[in-house]
Amino acid sequence: MIEEYERYVGRGTLEELKALARQLKGVKVLHVNSTKKGGGVAEILYRLVPLMNDLGIDTSWEIIKGDQEFFSVTKKIHNLLHLPSGDGISQKELLTYMKHTYENVSYIDTDPYDVVFIHDPQPLGLIIKKKNGQRWIWRCHIDVSTPEEETWKFLEMFVNGYDAGIFHIPEFVREGVKIPSFIIPPSIDPLHDKNRELEDHFIFGVLEKFGIDPYRPIILQVARFDRLKDPFGVISAYRIVKRRLDCQLVLAGSYASDDPEGEEVYREVVETAGDDDDIHILNLPPDSHLEINALQRSATVVLQKSIREGFGLVVSEAMWKGKPVIGGNIGGIRRQIINGVTGYLVNSVEGTAFRIKQLLSGEKERSRMGRNARERVRQSFLITRHVKDYLMVIYSLLKS
Amino acid sequence: MSEFVFKSELWTAQYTGIKANTLASFARAIEEVDDDTIYYHLYRNLFEYHFMPTEYGNSFAYWLAENGYPVLAEKFSSVDLMECVCLDDIRKEMVQILRETAEVSDKLCKPFHFIRAVRKTIDVGLKARNIQEFKEAVQTVGIHSLFYHLVTSRLVRCHSSNDFAIWLEEVGEERKAKQINSLDLMVMSLHEARRIILDILES
Repeated sequence: MIEEYERYVGRGTLEELKALARQLKGVKVLHVNSTKKGGGVAEILYRLVPLMNDLGIDTSWEIIKGDQEFFSVTKKIHNLLHLPSGDGISQKELLTYMKHTYENVSYIDTDPYDVVFIHDPQPLGLIIKKKNGQRWIWRCHIDVSTPEEETWKFLEMFVNGYDAGIFHIPEFVREGVKIPSFIIPPSIDPLHDKNRELEDHFIFGVLEKFGIDPYRPIILQVARFDRLKDPFGVISAYRIVKRRLDCQLVLAGSYASDDPEGEEVYREVVETAGDDDDIHILNLPPDSHLEINALQRSATVVLQKSIREGFGLVVSEAMWKGKPVIGGNIGGIRRQIINGVTGYLVNSVEGTAFRIKQLLSGEKERSRMGRNARERVRQSFLITRHVKDYLMVIYSLLKS
Repeated sequence: MSEFVFKSELWTAQYTGIKANTLASFARAIEEVDDDTIYYHLYRNLFEYHFMPTEYGNSFAYWLAENGYPVLAEKFSSVDLMECVCLDDIRKEMVQILRETAEVSDKLCKPFHFIRAVRKTIDVGLKARNIQEFKEAVQTVGIHSLFYHLVTSRLVRCHSSNDFAIWLEEVGEERKAKQINSLDLMVMSLHEARRIILDILES
């Protein structure tokens, strides 16, 4: 399995990974999160766990149990940590969290493992099971730098019981966290349906299905229908560009059936687009990986004009396909795009329009940036680098 | 003929908890952070962006430019990482640049987060006993290994010659050693460096 990555990262890099893994022979690792399917964490673990096993590190993956009430509470905790607003967490909700944590303590056997990775806040409380000699790591995939205070105070007692935390970027680390904090960005898998190479006829088929003209320039943003992704700003930028240059805009995303705000944003976006036949608003099922892949490959310019982002890995997905990306000058997007080299960082609608026009008009520049973008991802955002980082953290906690 | 053992260095990143949001606090931090932090912000950048023409050479310079200190940014970017033989020399050079500046030092800036490289040297399982074996290994090893032998191990030993040059000199290939030692990784990618080294070994 690990051998499949040789064509992307080279033989030497694989040998280095194997050499590092040999030093951890006999170490048993467990990953715990809240779901086997859906969401970025499950997607990464789905591939990362077999890769670690293939490298000779005995690695297991467990998910916690919980009912709807528990997951409503954990969703609220997630929101309060990431984007605090409205009411804090109630005593009743804290009790629900603790009740299910204790149930999971007896359900998930963490004892046989040397290293336990706990992903995100849902299973955080399992730390009460930690045995002497074990190393527990909290892998936090969200921005907890400015959380709702009371919620953080409740979680902090768990967090400080860990041997280390891992965060995407340093800006996401809560000030005053007492445990060592590693900085490890997420990654993409070049073999996933989202990213694997596609035949031209498949790409043309997808464009035809959605009524997109394959012979005219395409500006694309892939994002769920959410105000924080600024779909309205994207439409405004497109309209500025359209005054001078022929182009089409594709806004591809989705909203869940239990996401009333997503549906509302979708309707507003459709309304804003009006009767412009060159704006394509695609509400796709969440597992439309191949379609999204095809849209990214057919795009002339890709946007990620978010106002706030977790990390925005969709930027790396487009860059891997050799596309220059114009992204909002924030958080994880800043870590992926090198301004003027792999794409552009922008701060306004006008700036976005200006950069779109530059890229639509300059084929040479697009190709140069696209090549740089793909190499940037090869170097820093592929899953093999992610595995290496995890092995390094394990090594530093167990052997140093 | 002495044996050359190919090694590599892998690293991950750890946040030091040190954050600077003025030029004054940045200058203090440069003096106080450990060598692995200086290494991360200068050399990890050199490795990470070795294949593309970035505007500045390291994250210190980017931060200075972004916060309105373009002259300092240029000076930091021009610190010659291939010329310095010791991390402490580089630190002194940066401190000197900051001391000489007349820029406003207490203006509030976006925070700069200091990160430390957690480093580990590994044996990649390749050895060379002659030029032919050496050439074959250079062709095969990963770019982390090239970076280690051309840049990092030199810093650990505080030596002006890189590992490849030292071994080539030991085996009587002084001319090749000199050519390889003069490669400037600040202006070429590791892939280019590999190609040039192979050409030199072939010549």
